Amino acid sequence: MAYEALDFYDIDSLLTEEERMVRDMVRDWVEERVLPNIEDACRDGIFPDEWRVEIGEMGILGAPLKGYGCPGLSYIAYGLICQELERGDSGVRSFASVQGSLAMYPIWDFGSEEQKEKYLSGMAKGELVGCFGLTEPDYGSNPGDMITRAEDRGDHFLLNGAKMWITNGTIADIAVVWAKLEGVIRGFIVEKGDEGFSAPEMKGKHSLKASVTSELVFQDCKIPKDRLIPGVKGIRGPLSCLNNARYGISWGAIGAAQSCFNSAREYSLSRIQFGHPIASFQLVQNKLSWMLREITKGQLLAYHMGKKKDDGSWIPEQISLAKMNNVDMALEIARMSRDIHGANGILDEYPVMRHMANLESVKTYEGTHDIHNLILGRHITGIQSFTREP
Amino acid sequence: MGVAVLLKQVPDTTAKISVTGGRVDESSITKWSISPYDEYALENAIKLKESGYGDVVVITCGPARASKCLTEAAAVGADKLIHVVTESGSLDSIQIQALLSAAVKESSCDVVMCGKQAADTNSGSTGPGVASALGYSCVGAVTEVSIEGNVISATRLGPLGLEEVEVETPCVFTFDKGDTELRRPNVRGIMMAKKKPIDSLTSDDLGVDTSNSMVSVESHSSPPEKPPGQKFVGAESVPAVVNMLRNDANVI
Ligand SMILES: Cc1cc2nc3c(=O)[nH]c(=O)nc-3n(C[C@H](O)[C@H](O)[C@H](O)COP(=O)(O)OP(=O)(O)OC[C@H]3O[C@@H](n4cnc5c(N)ncnc54)[C@H](O)[C@@H]3O)c2cc1C
Repeated sequence: MAYEALDFYDIDSLLTEEERMVRDMVRDWVEERVLPNIEDACRDGIFPDEWRVEIGEMGILGAPLKGYGCPGLSYIAYGLICQELERGDSGVRSFASVQGSLAMYPIWDFGSEEQKEKYLSGMAKGELVGCFGLTEPDYGSNPGDMITRAEDRGDHFLLNGAKMWITNGTIADIAVVWAKLEGVIRGFIVEKGDEGFSAPEMKGKHSLKASVTSELVFQDCKIPKDRLIPGVKGIRGPLSCLNNARYGISWGAIGAAQSCFNSAREYSLSRIQFGHPIASFQLVQNKLSWMLREITKGQLLAYHMGKKKDDGSWIPEQISLAKMNNVDMALEIARMSRDIHGANGILDEYPVMRHMANLESVKTYEGTHDIHNLILGRHITGIQSFTREP
Repeated sequence: MGVAVLLKQVPDTTAKISVTGGRVDESSITKWSISPYDEYALENAIKLKESGYGDVVVITCGPARASKCLTEAAAVGADKLIHVVTESGSLDSIQIQALLSAAVKESSCDVVMCGKQAADTNSGSTGPGVASALGYSCVGAVTEVSIEGNVISATRLGPLGLEEVEVETPCVFTFDKGDTELRRPNVRGIMMAKKKPIDSLTSDDLGVDTSNSMVSVESHSSPPEKPPGQKFVGAESVPAVVNMLRNDANVI
């Protein structure tokens, strides 16, 4: 059966021809290359290297960035790319999000001319893989209190500390690492093979199994002076990267939800119980119509957010709402879809349990669901409630 | 010099086709694609171009929606795009061949490639028909071509195995699905494709009279529904299944 993405309000008609072509290219790739292999990749706990090569060849990495060999697509196109990749698997979308929004973006926006020339075009082609080191074992939701430190040693910096939960870490050629230099958060580019740097993989995940997650360890890690990212100081640096990635996730979640919806719809039409397809029962129809309703709202939210990203009229709180809402609805839909599939829902023959487990990570990373609630709460009331200290 | 590729836009092989009032309802078809065999023609044309043989000119004959297949071809490397604009389903095969031949002449290409048949009508007449109208030689159902001077050698699946055929230009090849891997578009290709102009031509522009179609389609109907599948459970059903496989399906 052909994949027909749910598009109840005809978002398709709002897209440019270029956006549609990019979307279809990624959709076809996911259909041909990801879906037949994703369960094996998850079982083996790997992100197949040929996916990196092929994603690079499609030219979609760092989608909305312009110049230095980057694609220069619209934010809508970037969103559609995330949607299609995550319809395959959140792990595949994570690879692209981290590469484009978290590793390429800070170099593109805050890097020196030499850094941009050195890294960006290779990263856009997927030849150089990047990762983003912000989270630490003891500092997740409040990265501002991070421990990792950089010391100025005259002709080089010395980095000490550890990062955790770093997507792409072990397979990365470069890491954008956030560390405190004289008490101020700064970005540093650490290269694979730098003295005192290692990136052991974290094992045992029940979620995002086809994505590489790693620790980054810095023990008197010596890096040249020109690897300091000059253009940004303070928590604003990492947060501005997160804005782009979170925006992409708000589309990605739609892809996962569409996949779960399609599977639930097909399954409920063919599964006969009490002499009738379960799709003919009102309780099941109620679930399907709820899914349709939530996905449609999520699409309008993401599309409008994309337009605002494209014309520059957005505020970060709007992205928080989109990320939080769409991941929340996708996770609920995955659970509901699992329920509609009955026992079959737990098998790897259907994508739903995998999406469901993946979305648990997506709910937590890039600002947990509740951290986005707090961001909105502060926006509404003017009172921050992240911490009790004034 | 140059390769003209004739592309037909057809309902995607996965699209649902519905018939209303004795006609296929085109408006209900959600996805249109380049006819699959034509994609092999396009891929081989681009390969020929990469080995130094002129530009690739893609030509389609069809309604406004068909221009999309030209842009898709441009995204993977077609150089020039020609759209012969006609009303959907209004012409017979000979008229279409006349229009396509005129467009090929206009492109001044001396090699023409197309699929061995279209995925919707399956009539397989376009390649030979265009060859006959142009007075070119024609090799059917090829899977690969390579060029040396003005001699092109083509591989085709013959009755006894693979045949190697050598043919001088000008010539027409119709393509079968071979081992050739189709290239995927990329963002750069898509962005360049968007900027490529499409040369829109009418039958008047091409000087082809299309007023009298010799064929008129009376009606369409859906094929009869397949009988539902049968399910056999347990060891006791083995003899019945073996019997059916032997006598009904003739597979053992
Ligand atoms: C698969 C995966 C990949 C990841 N990839 C990366 C990466 O590439 N780079 C990177 O830097 N990080 C990455 N992360 C880390 C991720 O960003 C963090 O897990 C996230 O920020 C949450 O931090 P934490 O896990 O320490 O949870 P905590 O901050 O300990 O939160 C635990 C719970 O407490 C709640 N909570 C915390 N503070 C408050 C508060 N003030 N008020 C109310 N509730 C609160 C949270 O909402 C949550 O429910 C990844 C995580 C996962 C799971």
